[in-house]
Amino acid sequence: MESVLWYVLTGTRGGANRARLLRAIDERPRNANQLAEDLDLDYKTVRHHLDVLMENDIVQNSGDDYGAVYLPTDQARHHWETVEQIIEEVE
Amino acid sequence: MGLLIDAARVATALNTVLLAMLTYVWARNYLQFRSKHTLGLSVFSILLLAENALAFYYYMLDPLLAGWFSTAVPAPAWRAMLILHILEFGALVFLTWVTWD
Repeated sequence: MESVLWYVLTGTRGGANRARLLRAIDERPRNANQLAEDLDLDYKTVRHHLDVLMENDIVQNSGDDYGAVYLPTDQARHHWETVEQIIEEVE
Repeated sequence: MGLLIDAARVATALNTVLLAMLTYVWARNYLQFRSKHTLGLSVFSILLLAENALAFYYYMLDPLLAGWFSTAVPAPAWRAMLILHILEFGALVFLTWVTWD
């Protein structure tokens, strides 16, 4: 899991924005629309990053389709020290 | 033989471009995150970039070696070199594809 976090958040072009998203939903679970607004990102970009984070089991959503709220997975929580180490450096 | 040389030149040029893209992403992330992981990726891509830029220089521009590579190296040797360059190209295409995400 730790190497996945390093790769997804710091090894790719969109990593920094994924780290910002992860920090935002850790503060307060939100849906894609709110995240796009709060982080001043394109809605489609946000959806794409959330899909990548879901694929890698870093975030999960509440499941109710359109308004689904995203939050960190237990796995991500379990390795939150690593996550914090990474997102500290963003912004 | 001329075709093999040209293919090798194109392959090293393309490898250089892909490595420049990877170096751009990883060096930028290193400047932002300052982590050991991003440092490792950056150093890796910079060294491999240097390798391909040097190969391109030797094949095309070096006053002594460019002439030698285009006239004195026999086709079987070029073929062998070309396979190495093309395998590296395939590896870099894939790595760039997953990194550019």
